[in-house]
Amino acid sequence: MARIVVDPVTRIEGHLRIEAELNGGAISDAWSSGTMFRGIELILRGRDPREAWIWAQRICGVCTTVHALTSVRAVEDALGIEVPENANLIRNIIGASQYVQDHVIHFYHLHALDWVDVTLALKADPAKTEQLAESISPWPKSSRTYFKGIQDRVKALVESKQLSLFSSGYWGHPAYHLPPEANLLAVAHYIEALEFQRDYIRIHAVLGGKNPHLQTYLVGGMSTAMDPNEPQATINPERITFLAELASKAQTFVDQVYIPDVLAVASFYRDWFGRGEGLGNFLSYGDFPQGSVKDSARFYLPRGAIFNRDLSKVQPVDPANVAEYVTHSWYQYSDGDQNPKHPYQGETNPKYTGPKPPFENLQTDQKYSWLKAPRYQDHPMEVGPLSRMLVAYASGHQEVKDLVNGALAKLNAQPSALFSTLGRIAARAIEAQLMARQVSKWVAELGDKLGHGDLRVHNGEKWDPDSWPKEAQGFGFHEAPRGALAHWVHIEDKKIKNYQAVVPTTWNAGPRDAKGQRGAYEASLLKTPIADPERPLEILRTVHSFDPCLACAVHVVDAQGRCHSVLKAS
Amino acid sequence: MPTPPKYVVLGLGNTLHSDDGVGPQAVERLRSDARVPEDVALIEGGTLGLELLTYIWDCSYLLVLDAVDVGQPPGTLVRMSSQELQTLPGRGSVHQLGVADLLVALRVLARQPPTVVLLGVQPATTKWGTELSPAVGAVMGSLIEASVAELMRVAAITSA
Repeated sequence: MARIVVDPVTRIEGHLRIEAELNGGAISDAWSSGTMFRGIELILRGRDPREAWIWAQRICGVCTTVHALTSVRAVEDALGIEVPENANLIRNIIGASQYVQDHVIHFYHLHALDWVDVTLALKADPAKTEQLAESISPWPKSSRTYFKGIQDRVKALVESKQLSLFSSGYWGHPAYHLPPEANLLAVAHYIEALEFQRDYIRIHAVLGGKNPHLQTYLVGGMSTAMDPNEPQATINPERITFLAELASKAQTFVDQVYIPDVLAVASFYRDWFGRGEGLGNFLSYGDFPQGSVKDSARFYLPRGAIFNRDLSKVQPVDPANVAEYVTHSWYQYSDGDQNPKHPYQGETNPKYTGPKPPFENLQTDQKYSWLKAPRYQDHPMEVGPLSRMLVAYASGHQEVKDLVNGALAKLNAQPSALFSTLGRIAARAIEAQLMARQVSKWVAELGDKLGHGDLRVHNGEKWDPDSWPKEAQGFGFHEAPRGALAHWVHIEDKKIKNYQAVVPTTWNAGPRDAKGQRGAYEASLLKTPIADPERPLEILRTVHSFDPCLACAVHVVDAQGRCHSVLKAS
Repeated sequence: MPTPPKYVVLGLGNTLHSDDGVGPQAVERLRSDARVPEDVALIEGGTLGLELLTYIWDCSYLLVLDAVDVGQPPGTLVRMSSQELQTLPGRGSVHQLGVADLLVALRVLARQPPTVVLLGVQPATTKWGTELSPAVGAVMGSLIEASVAELMRVAAITSA
């Protein structure tokens, strides 16, 4: 049996390594090993809980706002604070627009190149590309002149060898099936999506301040001043109009570009409706409260768990049932590594026992990852857009059912097709469509509140630490674009005593537990055929379909041996 | 929305990883430095990738402050010009983008990329922690002076 290693998995945030055993041309077993932040508790211990979010949003380099929200919710939960409805709406708008932003970036910039061969785009006939584009969407940028221009631009980049954005694709791999014209269309939309996301993210600049890290969260609400008559207020009628315009443009982009592209790409890769399923267990904390954050029955995206792909039953979810194993992780629990710990009892004592680099293979029968292995009621669970859409679909969420059934009908596929690599991609696109609409609705609602003089964005009742109990514990959650995210905070004497985070990629990319149950990536790779073990494109397709984020990268520019001038020698 | 300014200072790095936070910390210092011209946008970019495109979209001049591994002793302060930056390898990952990749993204979008100068500091450590190491902390003053000098120089060229 041959073992293949993909290290690093490219086009993701952070460092992930996959080892897979190959038997008769298909994967017979797989292991996922990642580096992952595990130090936030050291940074937060002893700090003022009201400031935790400022630090927590740096946990991840790309998911900043999701950690900020989860952190303020954890502290609000601990202190029993309800936020005003406006704060909730603003948080929903920020969160939902982050979905649209991230899902578009994921499909076009992190995942598309697993399905699209850029080099083939250069061979496309622009006139035929025009026909193809107009057959799938009313999107206006579809003329042959336009596609010819894109082709020339990409050609120039290829010739100048400055193609780093498109680097590390397995160009020419036999598993690429799109005709040249579909490749050119996708490359054109790759470029349009770059421009789209840079425009759309200005929603966050309005609601979060001028810096890329949002600055307007507050324990108890938001600091975004609302005033119908004040031009300087963060939220005034002019800003509402601006937000509504961005939201409307995003709906058009998702409806006319993202969704048709996903359906078109999927139609050429129907095999992948039968590959990459994985666990068949799906978890969603639910999110987007319409009222109190404690009233999970009224979340726009429902809370629930599905086991063994049984869509007839959605089980309730209680965060008390989350626990993490370190049996196969490079940590040590004070009372042994066989039993899991709930995050309130969480411990982070790193103990690396792996081979010394450089090495060929990890000792996968022992400890082999920096990720812990979270479990729900002792079951490994998949989290992310597919989990959310399945939980919503199975809960009878009408809008989700309509969108999912519509997409399945166009693809001539059954709901069971969703349990797959393509299902993950389709669910993400459908969710973007759903949430793009919600952004418009919530912006309109916020505009109504403004018009009716409801301007309250912060509940300051428990701002003063003297009003807090001596000790308190809180659970903060958010369905981040990549899946179920939670922070657990323990406050004592007005300071943080312990802090633990279980992030989406830990659920999906985590290793085995004490019972030997595989994590989601590991399970999803089983039985996947590999055409060329030297270029395991198929592994990338399934792993990327989860949208891995092993974040918290550092940003040291590697310039060893490069030209520079020394201004000041040390 | 105000029109984006033409000059941008971008501090990159993770403030939770000790010396990796040198760029963002320098940007915070520059915020309270009266010598920095008012129309310069000070952006703390953290470790964001493509999301930063919107902040450099319209700029003609970009000063990047970052930790740089040049294989020199910790605390060494270096300067790299646009041309020197072009020789940097891409990261092979759209997230975790290097500055070089952001500039390529501008080119892909047929935008005129800005003039870029990078001022970097050789880190001693990027372990978990919110404080800079002594070697890098000691050079912060020089990094600020060098940044202000760059901004003055470019302002003088533009107004001339």
